[in-house]
Amino acid sequence: MNDLIVDSNIRGWVFLPIVVITFLVGVLRHYISVLLASQKKIEIQQLQDSQVILRSRILRENARFIPKSSFNMRRLVFNNAENGYLTQKRENAAPNMMTDPSMMTDMLKGNITNVLPMIIIGGWINWMFSGFITTKVPFPLTLRFKPMLQRGIELSHLDASWVSSASWYFLNVFGLRSIYALVLGENNAADQSKQMQDQMSGAAMAMPPDPKVAFKAEWEGLEIIEHQWALAEIENTMTAKDK
Amino acid sequence: MSSINNISWQDAKDLFRTWRENNERKSEDVIYIWKSALEYNLNKLGNEKQLVVEQVCIAALDCHRLDIAEFCIRYLNKEFPYSLRVEKYKAMILEAQERYEEALDILENIINADKTNSAARKRIVAIFKAQGRNVEAIKQLTEYLKTYMTDNEAWQELSELYIAEQDFQKAAFCVEELILHSPHNHLLHQRYADIRYTQGGTENMELARAYYCQALKLNPNNMRALYGLYLATSNIATSSKYPSQKKKEATNLSEWALTEIKQRYKEKKVANIEDYIAALQIS
Repeated sequence: MNDLIVDSNIRGWVFLPIVVITFLVGVLRHYISVLLASQKKIEIQQLQDSQVILRSRILRENARFIPKSSFNMRRLVFNNAENGYLTQKRENAAPNMMTDPSMMTDMLKGNITNVLPMIIIGGWINWMFSGFITTKVPFPLTLRFKPMLQRGIELSHLDASWVSSASWYFLNVFGLRSIYALVLGENNAADQSKQMQDQMSGAAMAMPPDPKVAFKAEWEGLEIIEHQWALAEIENTMTAKDK
Repeated sequence: MSSINNISWQDAKDLFRTWRENNERKSEDVIYIWKSALEYNLNKLGNEKQLVVEQVCIAALDCHRLDIAEFCIRYLNKEFPYSLRVEKYKAMILEAQERYEEALDILENIINADKTNSAARKRIVAIFKAQGRNVEAIKQLTEYLKTYMTDNEAWQELSELYIAEQDFQKAAFCVEELILHSPHNHLLHQRYADIRYTQGGTENMELARAYYCQALKLNPNNMRALYGLYLATSNIATSSKYPSQKKKEATNLSEWALTEIKQRYKEKKVANIEDYIAALQIS
């Protein structure tokens, strides 16, 4: 079987440029998103809420180490029916996405750095380098891989292990992650595949957790706990052990 | 690891990083290494440069090397002109020069700019404490703890302030909070018992006894807890307010504590321990 021989100009003008372009675009994206990133302001109320929940959880776990009166005092602060922290009435503070302009700009910034370059660069690469066979994977593949590896080339007789230029671009987009981590450090914004995952689960994530639900659960937990002092019999065990 | 006398800047960088990660302050060593190895190699440090400078800045303030501190702050200020974190260091150097009012002004500005800045609030408490204005420090610290109520070190600081003001009930509350956070630290139990013993009264004395026992259980070598247990139990045994059953138990326990103490001293070969203990007794 006489194999295809790929023009060495393709290596110089298609194969390598695609790698370089995708890499540089990733780096550029990283720096643009760093530039655009607005520091997330933490609301002091939110902070307090989370700390209250943490503290009440600790109280529930280790209550047996403090005297009963001390435990009851603390529980009352949290669970008091009139003005306890966990039972207080509060207006629904969940931020409305449409009315809060800062959230809108955040979303816009996300789109500018994520979706736009993906479309533009992807389209440009498709237009500029379409129709080339760029490389060959060094192992045989079944026909199923043809749409994945040979996008833009509709040749039914071509061996499936050849890779077309458009597919090479996509392989690069998803495969450069560890290179970015090496160059830009961990948690960089260059990696597109991660952002696409974010977008998939984005709808559920955008809503901040409602404190009321967590408060209710903590309130219940604190209500049902029964205080048993761990030190009630400690004196007897002390002497009994050593006698 | 080579000794800190002729350390190379690469080793110094690694050493500083380990200290930073382990929260080791080691201020004098930091200053020494900075002077001998790092000061003239600052530009070789790469992206750890600012972190190292920050570390040196704190160390310099600790050692009252204000010249170094000033150099560090000037450097950091050039790198991050509007950073609140650098502003805090400016406040700290004023604090080191005892220019407290100016330092307070800067800190208030930081808090106004960022309401969630916990470091600045803690600095304010530190300034009040340095000035001996304990009551105001307590007020600030309680405000701080209303929001950051899981800050262990703040609770500890507050308990110490309350003890300094002899408000033992509240100090006990703070220590309870600490016990809730780390219930297996024998020193906390011992501290709690100390406070209860100092407060006095029938219930508190029994609490003190129980918590000394707990401290001893967690760490049988805690001598202070052993002494405390002896004092608390003999106090119960000699007081007239307790029923005789309890007195008898307390006598047993105090005898046990006494033999334990004697045992410890025998191991260390000290004679006539009874004389020393008799001197401890409160009527």
